[in-house]
Amino acid sequence: MNPEQPTNLSDNQINYQKIADQIYQTENFDFVGIAIQSQNPPHSIKWSFVAGNSNEKFRKIVLRSGIGIAGLVVRTGKPFWDNNLTEYEYSSKMYTPIAKSETLKTAVAVPIIDMLGLVDGVLLAGYRTHTIVSEKTAQNLSQYL
Amino acid sequence: MLETTQWITDYFDESSDAIMIFKDAELIVSNRMAHELQEELHMNPKYLVEIADSSVKQKFSSTDDCFNCIIQNKMKQISIPVTLAKNMPHPLPYFMIYNVIDANEHVFSLTLKNRGTINRMDQLAQQRKLTQYVNRAYEDERKRISEDLHDSIAQGVYSAIMGIRRIGDKNISQAELDKLTEVVQSQLNDTLTEVKRMALDVRPSVLDSFGLLAALRVLAKRLQENSGVTIDVIGNADTSRLSNDIQSVFYRIAQEAINNALKHANADEISILVVSHDHFITLEVIDDGEGFDVPAHQVFNGHSLGLMNMNERVKALNGAFNIKSAKNEGTTITVKFPVA
Repeated sequence: MNPEQPTNLSDNQINYQKIADQIYQTENFDFVGIAIQSQNPPHSIKWSFVAGNSNEKFRKIVLRSGIGIAGLVVRTGKPFWDNNLTEYEYSSKMYTPIAKSETLKTAVAVPIIDMLGLVDGVLLAGYRTHTIVSEKTAQNLSQYL
Repeated sequence: MLETTQWITDYFDESSDAIMIFKDAELIVSNRMAHELQEELHMNPKYLVEIADSSVKQKFSSTDDCFNCIIQNKMKQISIPVTLAKNMPHPLPYFMIYNVIDANEHVFSLTLKNRGTINRMDQLAQQRKLTQYVNRAYEDERKRISEDLHDSIAQGVYSAIMGIRRIGDKNISQAELDKLTEVVQSQLNDTLTEVKRMALDVRPSVLDSFGLLAALRVLAKRLQENSGVTIDVIGNADTSRLSNDIQSVFYRIAQEAINNALKHANADEISILVVSHDHFITLEVIDDGEGFDVPAHQVFNGHSLGLMNMNERVKALNGAFNIKSAKNEGTTITVKFPVA
């Protein structure tokens, strides 16, 4: 269990760590991460639950809405995937911090929607090899939520 | 035909290079420039012939094992650096080019090219490249700001307006209203964060109001959140006495150095040290990344000002700039400014 995950879990709170572990064990992804928006201001979104991480950099990353594939999912509430993650420069709009720090080459991200229909976070899974991801991968990933 | 011969003669005579043609080591013809050099700088053609001669001998000497000469030997002509007016206040550096015109008749030419002019041309070319780059960088910056304004800010405000319009609808339930309010709020929050980030990118106002260290801390925190790389700012130097120019340079260099470390070095940890001494203040940016071969990156490559720009900015304010790096040993960038 990640010690930094939010402690204010309500009764009906989903066990995201279990989901991340389950996806990591069932599918062949190299990395699975779940970023959840904090309940408290400034409502930052952090990678609170991960599986298959290669370092601890994810703990320091704060997701920015609209930037990178995870940020786009948060902004739009729609799944995103990308097969050329290594191409983006640090200043690019598609630069995805978690992909860089975990050296992911391809990744897919789907929104985590709360009961009110608001985007609460994002589930991202990716490969360190050039394994092509597609809409189908995104659909498959959504099944776990 | 006669006319072209005349042109060639004119060109020979008016050339800015001094050209002399010899037969059997005796000066036969020389142009105006050569005459002038002979008269004013007491240039002795015989002396030049001797230089050329020993150079030729050197070239064919088997005992000579200098590596550079191998490259020189590949050239069709022989170039020799010579300095004229050695004992005058302003010695003039020249290239002398030895060129065989007719080997059987022993006719050859010696051409003196002013190295000062060539250097000046090199500088001009470099400067032009730089100006072009600065212009492009300036336009790119504006383009980026404009795109950011349009894509992030305008988009966010537009979505919020749409949300508020729907809140005004009388037929929605309390639950829907609550949800909409939250959506609009989070949209406006995102937009606010973006505006702040943009303002910080364009010009850190913290630098003006709270000083260099505070500005560096804000920068470090933001870049850490953006990369996951640990970035620490260490130091308690009093920077309030530094001029605005020096503070800006410190800030921009720290920014550039961190960006470089994040982009190229794959660092896990970056430390920024600001230390003040009796009569100087230093900034150090240390990363534990891959490091690089410094000399290979010191020339301007036409794309990124990077190292060269850092150096120029520091030099302009009487500071010193240094990069220490080696493959797999990280990089340390040091900037030092004198303080009165």
